[in-house]
Amino acid sequence: MTAPLEGRYFHPNAARHVPARASATADRMLRIEDESGTVLAQAAARSVKSTARLARLTRRFDLPDGARFETEDNDGADALLRTLRKLRHGRLTDRLERAWPVALLSAAITLAAGYYFFVQAMPMAAEWLARKTVPLVAHTMSEQTLRALDRFALKDTTLKPAEQARAQALFTRTAAHAGGGAGAYRLVFRGGGPIGPNAFALPDGTVVMTDELWKEVKNDAEVEGVFAHEMSHVDHAHQLQRVYEASLFPATLVIFTGDMSQVSQMTAILPSLIVESAYSRGFEQQADDDGAATLRAMGEHPSHMAEFLERLDKKVCGKTGCPPSWLGDHPDTAARAARLRREDKGPIPASEDCLKPWRSGISLHCLAFN
Amino acid sequence: MTDSAAQPDGSAAIHGVEFRGRGAEYFRIWIVNLALTLLTLGLYSAWAKVRTQRYFYGNTILAGHSFEYHAKPWRILIGRAIALTLFVGYTLSVVFFPFTFGLWFLILAAAMPWLANSSIRFNARNTSWRNVRFDFSGTYFEAFMAYVVWTAAALALFPLAPLTRRVHDYFYINHHRFGGRSFTTDFPGRRIYVIYLFGFILIVAMVVAALAIAGALVELHIHKLLGGVTIPLGPNDFAPIAFVVFGLGSLFVGSFITTLVTNLSIGNTTLEGGFKLVSRASGLRVAWIVLSNTFLILLTLGLYYPFARVRLARYRMRKYAVRGDGDLDAFASEALTAQNAIGEEIAGFFDFGFGL
Repeated sequence: MTAPLEGRYFHPNAARHVPARASATADRMLRIEDESGTVLAQAAARSVKSTARLARLTRRFDLPDGARFETEDNDGADALLRTLRKLRHGRLTDRLERAWPVALLSAAITLAAGYYFFVQAMPMAAEWLARKTVPLVAHTMSEQTLRALDRFALKDTTLKPAEQARAQALFTRTAAHAGGGAGAYRLVFRGGGPIGPNAFALPDGTVVMTDELWKEVKNDAEVEGVFAHEMSHVDHAHQLQRVYEASLFPATLVIFTGDMSQVSQMTAILPSLIVESAYSRGFEQQADDDGAATLRAMGEHPSHMAEFLERLDKKVCGKTGCPPSWLGDHPDTAARAARLRREDKGPIPASEDCLKPWRSGISLHCLAFN
Repeated sequence: MTDSAAQPDGSAAIHGVEFRGRGAEYFRIWIVNLALTLLTLGLYSAWAKVRTQRYFYGNTILAGHSFEYHAKPWRILIGRAIALTLFVGYTLSVVFFPFTFGLWFLILAAAMPWLANSSIRFNARNTSWRNVRFDFSGTYFEAFMAYVVWTAAALALFPLAPLTRRVHDYFYINHHRFGGRSFTTDFPGRRIYVIYLFGFILIVAMVVAALAIAGALVELHIHKLLGGVTIPLGPNDFAPIAFVVFGLGSLFVGSFITTLVTNLSIGNTTLEGGFKLVSRASGLRVAWIVLSNTFLILLTLGLYYPFARVRLARYRMRKYAVRGDGDLDAFASEALTAQNAIGEEIAGFFDFGFGL
């Protein structure tokens, strides 16, 4: 028999309450008495609902008739529940939440799991989903994207039919050496408008090249490098992967943090920007490497791609080129060019191919090769 | 300890509110629950939510008694599973087929009143103080007028925004009940317009400041100032810097305005039985707390988050009070049925804020 537990008794469903004490009877009943020893309520232990221990919160015993006993004495409440043989779950969680070593371990688990989810599992899941996406979806998405771009940014091409035929011939030649084979890609001409000299790939294999980009080309290998780079994006379904990553990331964050409101909103946006750009920098590197491999297969030097990149950079940002910056989705041009020049001597070993999100700077608006 | 006190001059008694949570204590609860959530691939998140809510409600003390949160974790888990399915479906269909957005828009507009009612009601019914539950009784039509019609009106005609805000607050407060008695708020529209006008002036000043600061930073090439340490900034960084400065600025103005409006709505609220609510938080103080909290959270990679929440709650709660000589013993719960958590969780996923 334990000592009676001091607390308060609330009348059924009411705010009215009196000082009271609780104890366990021999036949596993919870008995509530007032200070003079008059029994206020008595209920079978199994019909009483008690709150789980949490920090220093008031402990509550809900009786079946809506009455309630509450106490500040958490240890006493645990002892009473043990007597009533009702102390089950809840105590463990509370013990974990009190211990600093557990907190440190939890922080380590959180960091490790966070790293695993966002750096390993998420890209893997996105890649798997991107490969499983039916062509119809990729096609519809590409059509709608191009239609939207045509309306808001791109203009009709002003290239003469002869120039178009020439570009098309180089495109076909590159496609024959690229991962997907000749039938997998389609070249489309547009005026760049605000996008300027640029080329980008859509998930269904459509490669859009702006007139401005074509006008910068000095030799065939340069534009073939661009095509090969974009074809790699198509082969690996990079754009679909980005879409999946962009959708999975916030959903995952909401599940783990529990809410999207106020303070967490700010903290949710910044990491997602950084992580997303880290993912896409990995894609750019992969596309550069594949592009270099395609060029080599065609008997050309990947360093032509490097020169073209640097020239575009100066065209967009002036004489000094675009400075590397903190936010953005493309690796620093100088780093890309250096890597491409090394590709002249053969493929860079796989050990250097991994995602290195924090190494290189990036430039947000120097959209050479998207 | 803040407790009830009758005023010596014979005016109504003031029942103070205080928050007793501690940063270091909540930090452990938060990190352990986060780790458990991760280890269970998210399943534990419902239990984590209940423990967090219990911690914050249970440490909020009004007139010597704490609030309590009663929601059942498995109800939240079911709600969360349904919400997640919908959210993923929504996100994917919108990115793949942008033209389905219109359809989703209609569905969400039609569901919005239901979401609002069921989310607010879920939270009200699972909240109690002194063994007496809160309740919420908005109808679909009223919620439709408030959250769809008035919101659309404010989007179409910006000067209506303050009135829309008042409609939302009226809807939220005036349908809340405690122990069968109604809350009522009422205040003149011009007072909310004054607050919004002030906010508008602040925003204009902020846009100018954001552009000026971004321009100055880029112009300075600050790596030259820091002697040797290269911080690469160029013309390309103008937009990101302006974005960050503007983001921090709008966080500041947002919390400032929200605090003043909450003071207005809550401060003019009465509860049947002779009670009046008091809300006297300083807008500047709250804005400062929110901004410095955000900064510290970013600096500590999120570890400051639990301390930030406790710090804000401590200040906010201290500035609330209930004034009145009514009988606190006279409250009694109505018979209420349990509420499922589906609406509440969907609202959470889509980040619809219903409430003040």
